[in-house]
Amino acid sequence: MQPTTDPAASAVLAVVFLPFVAAGLVPLVYRLVGERTAYYAAAIALACFGLVASQYGTHGAVSFPWIRSLGVSLSFYVDGLSLLVGFLASGVGVLILTYSGGYMHGEPSQPKYYASLLAFMGSMLGVAFAADLIALFVFWELTSLSSFMLIGHYQRQESSQYAARKSMLITVAGGLFMLIGFLLLHSVLLDVTSGSNAFSIVYMLENPELVQEELRSAGLFLPVLGLIGVGAAAKSAQVPLHIWLPNAMEAPTPVSAFLHSATMVKAGVYLLGRFRPVLVSHEWELLFAILGLTTMTVAAVLAVGATDIKELLAYSTASHLGLIVAGFGFASELGGETGAFHIINHATFKAALFLVAGIVAHEAGTRKIENLGGLKEDLPITAAITAVAALGMAGVPPFNGFYSKELLFEAAWEAAVHAGGGLAYLYPAVAVFGSVFTFLYSIRFLMLFFGEKPTGLHKVHSPPKAMLAPPLLLGVIAGLVSLGGILGTFGIHFAPFDHFVGEVWASTLPPGSDLHGGFSYYFPDHITPAVTMSAVTLVLGAASYPFYGRLHEGVNRVTDVNVLRANWYYNSAVFGLNGVSDTTAERVQNGLLRTYATWALASVAGLTLAGYAATSVTLPAFELSKVAVTVPILLVLLVAIVGAVAVSIAPSHISGVLTLSILGFMVAVFYVLADAPDLALTQLVVETLLLVIFLLVLDKLPAFYGNTDRAKMARDGVLSAAVGATVFVTVLVSTAATPTDGIASFFVEQAVPVGGGGNIVNVILVDFRAFDTLGEISVVAMAALSVLTLVAMRERGETQ
Amino acid sequence: MSTVIARTVTRTVVPIILVTAIALLLQGHNLPGGGFIGGVLTVTAFALIYVIYGLDYLEEELLHQIRAPLLDSIRHGIVENYQVAFGVGLAVAVVAGLVPLVFGENFLYQSHWYIKPLPIYGKLHVASALAFDLGVYFVVVGALLTILAVVGTE
Amino acid sequence: MTQFVLAGVLGVLFALGTFLVLRRDIVRVVWGVTIISQSANVYLVTMGGLSGGVPILSHGGHGGGHAVSDPLVQALVLTAIVIGFGTTAFALVLTYRVYQEHGTIDLLELGEKA
Repeated sequence: MQPTTDPAASAVLAVVFLPFVAAGLVPLVYRLVGERTAYYAAAIALACFGLVASQYGTHGAVSFPWIRSLGVSLSFYVDGLSLLVGFLASGVGVLILTYSGGYMHGEPSQPKYYASLLAFMGSMLGVAFAADLIALFVFWELTSLSSFMLIGHYQRQESSQYAARKSMLITVAGGLFMLIGFLLLHSVLLDVTSGSNAFSIVYMLENPELVQEELRSAGLFLPVLGLIGVGAAAKSAQVPLHIWLPNAMEAPTPVSAFLHSATMVKAGVYLLGRFRPVLVSHEWELLFAILGLTTMTVAAVLAVGATDIKELLAYSTASHLGLIVAGFGFASELGGETGAFHIINHATFKAALFLVAGIVAHEAGTRKIENLGGLKEDLPITAAITAVAALGMAGVPPFNGFYSKELLFEAAWEAAVHAGGGLAYLYPAVAVFGSVFTFLYSIRFLMLFFGEKPTGLHKVHSPPKAMLAPPLLLGVIAGLVSLGGILGTFGIHFAPFDHFVGEVWASTLPPGSDLHGGFSYYFPDHITPAVTMSAVTLVLGAASYPFYGRLHEGVNRVTDVNVLRANWYYNSAVFGLNGVSDTTAERVQNGLLRTYATWALASVAGLTLAGYAATSVTLPAFELSKVAVTVPILLVLLVAIVGAVAVSIAPSHISGVLTLSILGFMVAVFYVLADAPDLALTQLVVETLLLVIFLLVLDKLPAFYGNTDRAKMARDGVLSAAVGATVFVTVLVSTAATPTDGIASFFVEQAVPVGGGGNIVNVILVDFRAFDTLGEISVVAMAALSVLTLVAMRERGETQ
Repeated sequence: MSTVIARTVTRTVVPIILVTAIALLLQGHNLPGGGFIGGVLTVTAFALIYVIYGLDYLEEELLHQIRAPLLDSIRHGIVENYQVAFGVGLAVAVVAGLVPLVFGENFLYQSHWYIKPLPIYGKLHVASALAFDLGVYFVVVGALLTILAVVGTE
Repeated sequence: MTQFVLAGVLGVLFALGTFLVLRRDIVRVVWGVTIISQSANVYLVTMGGLSGGVPILSHGGHGGGHAVSDPLVQALVLTAIVIGFGTTAFALVLTYRVYQEHGTIDLLELGEKA
């Protein structure tokens, strides 16, 4: 880990924003080239890949100011981990978009599909490179948003809608937890550093001990850890928030391969890797090792219960994400190594398997496991890819997954030994147990290609080249990584790859950690606890495979019990809330104006008074000496009240309108006495016009009294009194405050020199606040148009 | 419908109201008044004519004498003319806001005489804000008269 | 004491307005809204302080020479009055159209129809 050159600002900026720009252009491109938009998008992804590659070897941050007043900047940080996620997002992006060219042939709404995919890629690159908490959060939520669009691609299908909403709800809510964590972190950092650093991830990575110490002394370490953990767990589908991932398989298969196996779900583990140097501690290990291992095991068991190949892969993804989380969870250096290496391995074999699943579904026309088998004869290349990828997923030596799983076993064993035994031995035990199930479902997936062809499965066609090439490439990469392990045994190392993984590993460790001479991996040549664990896994797995059918049924029998399913809680909560909101709406908004008004006014009054009570506002003292009230004002106001009372008890419409005018004219006189000549003039004239309009309209309306209901009157009286009391208190409290530096003095001073007018009110209206006035005259014009529409054009809409 | 006295008084009073309204509009920048007040006062004058003489009289006899310069001579009923009035008003206000952009100032920037962005007004010692106020005036007049006339014709 | 008198008056006016808004007769609801908006205007003017002078400066005179009441609230209220007229007129026309369409101005009856 030697910081070489700084990254080029333009390249980093381009890599993040190019996909967004390209996404905006998709509709145009689609109009020009039609379905070949896939290759346009793939070219963009390739360009991004090239840009990411051009930054390989650099290390550091570039920053652009964004919201200066809050110290938020749009800054990007380049190191091993961000490059890894960058390579994944753009590299897998190239393959997926190419594959889409074949897969999406003839599918609906393709422009939306490609635009969302490109926007997703941009967001994911943003997540990878963001070096500012707020920027990270924004890109983070953008990935959720584009994932929502893509899961709901078949927007007319109910299951798609359900899946899209579910993923949105869980991942976005998780993101909000993360945001709270970030803000807590920010508030703590503000005490030790300048405002511009308080959102900076780079600063945290440079001073991890200081940050952790500050967090602990503020008592916020556990909250921040937990909140960021929730964000990561929601995104990376950790138990019990994993439930959105299987549903997300409603998306077209390339999307599943891209977002829901290779990249977006990696955002969560990326977050953990990013914060690992800062937050790693005993609590960290306890939280994430347990979370990860639980997820790994539970999801692996659920995968065995799956009946659909994509469902199987979805649970398997959750399980492997659990493995990565657990790896990052272990506080030792080995933990970081596990996570870093497995991210790469998982991306290669899982994306390949998803694409294989897409080929199978596309060509065989079914995704049901029981209806598939013996595909080897029709799809020989696909079968070979599957063999490499599935054996890697199973952790069978010498395939790539084996090496990272070996590291996990080692880390788990070491953590157990380090913790002094006892319960800590559950770590390796659970890891082995989960791995057995991983082995089982991996082999089951592989067996789709072997054995007898089930009856009913007709001749399967070969996939188009565009669909075959991407998984082939991924399979080859997985194979090469596997080969690297074998060669490593003989001391031949593929240095650039090892170096890169070492860089990723280094970014997940606090500075100054021991890398044991850099990253390298090889086939074990002597018996270690980890080797024993691997052997146990394989033996147990192979021994129990013949009972796969029974296990499958057993799992399903358990998950039929509602209380054991996380999904049941989700559905009950969401649909329950739906019901509650329906009933509330019916009660609060029942079509009667008085109900609406009652609820609105009562809650305003209640909340306001509660607010005053909560902040213990004190009323100003009742002083007689502070006499500014003049007798005329008093009299005028009293007459106004008399007018208002008369309106309220008016026996007929006409008398009501006339008494309403009393109120209006008294208000006009009040304006005269309150030194507001403009208001007085306007009020007088408007009052006259209002009278005319009222009389004109009332002429057409029937006399109506509405029989009075005593109980209702009493209730209304109480509510009115409450509103009156609220206003009384509000007026007292608000007029008691006399801020000295009011904005009014500015207008008074500037009216003549700047506005060029002596009438300050008018100068404000037409000069200082002219834009407001423009809005207000638009409202007046709109009122006129509405009246016109209501009356003069009433025949139009209805006759058509 | 109305007495001779009312008719006679109206004849005398309406011009006075209109003159007052226009005076209020023009002096509004320095003394009480302005577009809003001038506008509503103008509307009262029309309301008075309408109440005393009826809408037809207003349309046929008076309208073109008083407001002809501004309005098109299309005669699709009086309401359309009022609509034109508040449309023109909004346009005037917006244009008054846009003009400063030509001089490199902000939208709705107002000046007065000694800066002289508008030479003609400058000589008249009138603030450029008057143009905007004129827009306000027409919007208020047009909109309120529209409402009044629509309700009245019913 | 000024404040208490004003606060009391405004409280009563708002209470009466609220009471009218809760009536069954649409016209009375319109009155209630009118009363509330008038009271809100009075409240705003009160906020600007009643002790100042007319916010009009002698021309060419130096600003801030004498204390004036807050011109900003007056500008605010000035537009509020005109807009208030527009919306009241709109509400009335709406009432009229409701009566034309449904033959009643009883909100209870209208609510049951909906």
